[in-house]
Amino acid sequence: MKLIVATTVLLAFGASSAGAGEAPAADVPLMHEEALAAGIDHAYRGPWEYFVGGGAAALDCNGDRLPDLFIAGGEERAQLYVNRSATGGALRFEPKDAGIAERDLKKVLGAYPFDVDNDGVKDLVVIRLGENLILKGGPECTFRKMNEAYAFDGRKAWTAAFAASWEEGQTFPTLAFGNYVDRAAPGSPWGTCDDNDLYRPSAAAEPDYSGWQPLSPGFCALSMLFTDWNRSGEPALRITNDRHYYRGGEEQLWKVTPGSAPRLYTRADGWQHLTIWGMGIAEGDLEGDGYPEYALTSMGDTKLQVLDREADEESPIYEDVAFDRGATAHKPYAGGDLKPSTGWHAEFADFNNDGALDLFIAKGNVEQMEDFASVDPDNLLIGGWDGKFTEAGHLAGIALPTKGRGAVVTDFNMDGRLDLLVVNREQPASLFRNLGAKSGDGARVAGNFVAIELHQDGANPDAVGALISVKSGTRTFNRTVQVGGGHASGHAGFVHVGIGTAERAQIRIKWPDGDWSPPYRVFGNNFVRIERGSDAARYWYPPESDAWQAAAKE
Amino acid sequence: MRRFVVSCAATAMLVATAARAEEPWAERVIGAHIDQSTLSGTLDAEALEVLRDAGERLFVGRFTEADGVGRPMATQAIVPTKRKRPPAETFVRSAGLDAGSCAACHNQPVDGGAGDFVTNVFTSEGFESADFDSLDPQFSNERGTNHLMGAGLIELLAREMTADLQAVRAMALKVARESGQPVTQALETKGVNFGSITAGPDGLVDISGIEGVDADLVLRPFSQKGVMTSLRQFTVNALNHHHGMQAVERFGARWTGEADFDGDGKANEISDGDVSAMVAWQAGLEPPVRMQPQQPAWRDASARGEDVFADLGCGECHIPALPLASLKFADPGPLDMAGTLREGELAEVIYDLELLEWAASLPRNEKGEVLVPLFGDLKRHVIADQEVAKLGNELLAQRFVERNVFMTAELWGIGSTDPYGHRNDVTSLDGIIRAHGGEGRAAREAYIAAAERERSDLIAFLKTLVIEQ
Repeated sequence: MKLIVATTVLLAFGASSAGAGEAPAADVPLMHEEALAAGIDHAYRGPWEYFVGGGAAALDCNGDRLPDLFIAGGEERAQLYVNRSATGGALRFEPKDAGIAERDLKKVLGAYPFDVDNDGVKDLVVIRLGENLILKGGPECTFRKMNEAYAFDGRKAWTAAFAASWEEGQTFPTLAFGNYVDRAAPGSPWGTCDDNDLYRPSAAAEPDYSGWQPLSPGFCALSMLFTDWNRSGEPALRITNDRHYYRGGEEQLWKVTPGSAPRLYTRADGWQHLTIWGMGIAEGDLEGDGYPEYALTSMGDTKLQVLDREADEESPIYEDVAFDRGATAHKPYAGGDLKPSTGWHAEFADFNNDGALDLFIAKGNVEQMEDFASVDPDNLLIGGWDGKFTEAGHLAGIALPTKGRGAVVTDFNMDGRLDLLVVNREQPASLFRNLGAKSGDGARVAGNFVAIELHQDGANPDAVGALISVKSGTRTFNRTVQVGGGHASGHAGFVHVGIGTAERAQIRIKWPDGDWSPPYRVFGNNFVRIERGSDAARYWYPPESDAWQAAAKE
Repeated sequence: MRRFVVSCAATAMLVATAARAEEPWAERVIGAHIDQSTLSGTLDAEALEVLRDAGERLFVGRFTEADGVGRPMATQAIVPTKRKRPPAETFVRSAGLDAGSCAACHNQPVDGGAGDFVTNVFTSEGFESADFDSLDPQFSNERGTNHLMGAGLIELLAREMTADLQAVRAMALKVARESGQPVTQALETKGVNFGSITAGPDGLVDISGIEGVDADLVLRPFSQKGVMTSLRQFTVNALNHHHGMQAVERFGARWTGEADFDGDGKANEISDGDVSAMVAWQAGLEPPVRMQPQQPAWRDASARGEDVFADLGCGECHIPALPLASLKFADPGPLDMAGTLREGELAEVIYDLELLEWAASLPRNEKGEVLVPLFGDLKRHVIADQEVAKLGNELLAQRFVERNVFMTAELWGIGSTDPYGHRNDVTSLDGIIRAHGGEGRAAREAYIAAAERERSDLIAFLKTLVIEQ
C-alpha cells in the first residue's frame, strides 16, 4: 500500500513534464485506492493468451442491490467477491465460493452479468480461453453452469469479447462472442483471426442456444457491443478488432435484423475502412441527442467517433473528433514515458456528477512491447461544458504504474459517486473509492445524481436495450442499458446519471420495444426503480447501518 | 439603516465590505466582496451584526452594471441555462430582470417585508420559453411577494421537521429489513401529519401515502408553493432571476465552466460571503408579533376572534405555533443540493439567532423549545375545488407540485401584508377566507355560516398579527 502511494506521488510529480495539461474547471473526483484494505487481492495472470482479457463483472448476486464482483484470473482462478461495503463508507468485499467448478474458474478472460433466463436473478456469461460459459445465478451468490441445459456450445475459441441483445419478439437474448486468434490455424497467430460466434435463441420456453452461427470474417475481436447507432430500434453489432494479427481486416458493424442472417455494413453503406489496434468500445451520448458516440481504444490514439448527421440515416459514417475534443489520450500523461499508450477498457461515466460524461480508459503495455510506453497510467478524462475533455487521472489519484485491462465503473458503496475497479495484468487489481470532489487535501460533495433501475415483466426484465432519458432544464442526459463493450467487463444494476446542479429531473424510458414511458418525476440524489407501466418511480434506500448489513448477511 | 460599533476582529472579517465604496458617489453596491473564509464557527453577537449589516446593504442596495446587473446570455432558470441570444431589453416586468434590489419588492411595511400587487413576480421554469413577454398564465404563474420576517425560524423548523420525517423513513426501512416484512409508518412531526410511507424489506419505499411534502421528505418551506429549500437557495435563485446577479456557488466556473456565465462582462458577481451575509440578514429578521390593540373594543374582539379561529378549524392548517428545539442557524444548511453551497464545502458557520434581541421575547414550552408563532404547518394542501376555484387559478405546475396545491400561508404578519392570496389580488381578509377551497373548504364554510360578529372578531384577531415597524 505504501509503495503504491509513493509511486502515485512519483507519477503525479512527473505529470507536469509528460503532457498533462491544465486541471479541468470542473470537479476532479478524488479516487482512493483501497483494494487490499477492501479485501480484494487478486491479479490477472498468465502467458501470452492472457495478454488480452482481464475483465470483471459487477452484479448483485444476493438481492441487496449492492454490486458484487466476479473477477477474471487468467490462468489462475476467477473469484467472486461479495460486497460488504457500508453505505458511503470504505469499500469491503469478501471472497465467496460461487459453486463454480474449479476447471471453469480457470482460463477466464472476462465476464458479463445480465439476466439470461428472465428469472429476476442475474446470470453470468463467462468468456474464456476455451469453452465459454453461461452461469445461472442462484441463491446467495451461487451459480450453476447451464451450457448443456441451454444447448449452448461454448466452443473452444480464444474469446475476448461479448455482447447480448434481445432481438424483437424474442424471449431470450441473442449472444455474440468475439474471438481472437485461432491458435490452431496454420501460421498462427499472424493472419489467423478466428470467426466470431452468434447464438440466436430458439422459440422454446427455456433458453435454447443450439442455433449457433459464425460471424465471418472475424478480425481478432477484442470488444463488441450491440448498439442502436441510428436510433432505428434495431441494434447493430459493433466490433473493434486488433490489427496486430489480422490481414485485410478492419473495424466492423454487423446489421443484425431479426429473422435475417447478419450482414456486414460495407463501403456501399458508407462504412469507412478503419484499422486500429481495437481493444475496447465505450458508448455514450455526449451531445444529448440520442445518437451515441463511441470511444475506441487502441495503441496510440483513442478514437472518438461522432455520427455524420448529414449522411443518410442508414449510413454509418463517422467522424473522429478525438483530437478536437482532447480525447486522444495517445501517450502517458504521467511517468515521463513519451512512447504511445496502449488503451484497453473504455467507459463513459459521470465521475463528478456535473452532468457531463467523463471518459475512463484503462491503460497498460501488452507485456513488453518496446515501442509502447511501459509505464502507462489509466486515464480519467473529465468532460467539460465545451464538449472537450481534460486529463485528470493524476489529480484524481488513479495514475498507478499498473497494466490495466478490464474495469468496472459503478457505485460500490451506494453513496451516489462512481467508484472504479481496474483489473491489472500480473499485478493486483486496483479498487478506487470515489471520495467526492477534490478540494485542497480532501474532498467535498460533488454534484447531484440519480441512479435508475429498470424493470419490465416477462422477457428481458432488466430492459437491456432501453434508453434512459433524464431531462433537467434544457439538458438531456441519455444512457442506454447495454450488455457488452468495454474490455471483457460489464456491470448490471443501477444506471448512474450525474445531473449537476439540478435538484430534480424528469425521466423517460424508451423501452426496448420502442415504447416511450410517461415522464417520471424524481428528486436528485436518490436511487429509483422504474417499473414499466407504473405511475411513479419507486425510491430505494441503501442500508444506513453497516452493522445491519453485517447482521443481515450472517 | 442601523449602525454598529464593531470589534477589530469583526471589522477585519468584513474589511472588504467596509472599503466597498471608494467614493461616496460610486454607482455600485458591491465595492469588494465579503470574504467567506473569514467566517467560521458560531459567530458572536458583534460578528453576526456586522455580517447582517453587510447583508442588509446587499438586500436594499440597487445593483448596477458595475455590480453585474444583467444576464444577457442567461435565463432566469434556477439551473444555469444559456440564452441563445440576448433579450431586447435588460429589464422586463414578466421574465425579468424585474427589480433593482430585493427591497424594491420586499418592503411592506419594512425591508424584508412583503409587497403590494405591483411587486408580483412571474415564475416559470425559465428553460425553453424563457423569453415570455406575456402575462398570460399559460406562460408563467403570477405570485405575490412574501415577507421574510422570521424566515430563519421557518427554515430551522423545516430542517427539524425534515430530520424527523427522514428518521421515520430510516426506522421503517431498518425494521422492514430486519423483520423481512413491509412496515408502514405515519409521517408525523411537531404534530403535523404528512401521511405515511411503507418500507419494504428490499429497501424500496411506497411513497403513495405521502401528503403535503415532496417524495424525498425534504420540507421546502419557501415560496408560495413551498418548493424552495433554504434562504440560501432562494437568495441565489432570486439574485439571478430578478437582478441578473449571479452567485459563484451556482453560476461560477465549477458548475458552468465560466466565471461570467451570463455574459455581461462581469465575472464572479456574487461571492459565497455575499450570499452568506444576505442569508444571515434574512435569517435574523425579527418575526412578526401579536400586537396588543390600544382600543379596548379591538382587544376584546381580538381575544374572541382567537377562539373563533380555533372553533372554525382555521388552526388545523394555520397552526398557531410549532416548537423549535434550536435557534442555531447553520449556513449552509443540511438540506441544500449542488448549486447551493452545502455542508462540508467550507468551514461550518452558525448564526445563533438566540443572540438577537427579539429572541428573548419568543414564548417557550416546558422543554425550553421556542414556540414559533407562525400560524402555519409548513405543509402543502389542495386549496381549490370545483366550486371554490379562486386559488386554483394557475395553469402551470411548479417543480412537481400541482397547480392547485400550495403551502399553507403562514399568517404571522398578515395584518401588515395585504393584499392576500398567492397572486396578491384579494384585497380583504374576508375575501381570502372565502376563497379557501379544497382542504380549506370546511373552514371556509364554517366561516360563512358563522355569525357576522364572529367573522368580525376573527378579522380583528388576524389584524393583530403584524410586522413591527
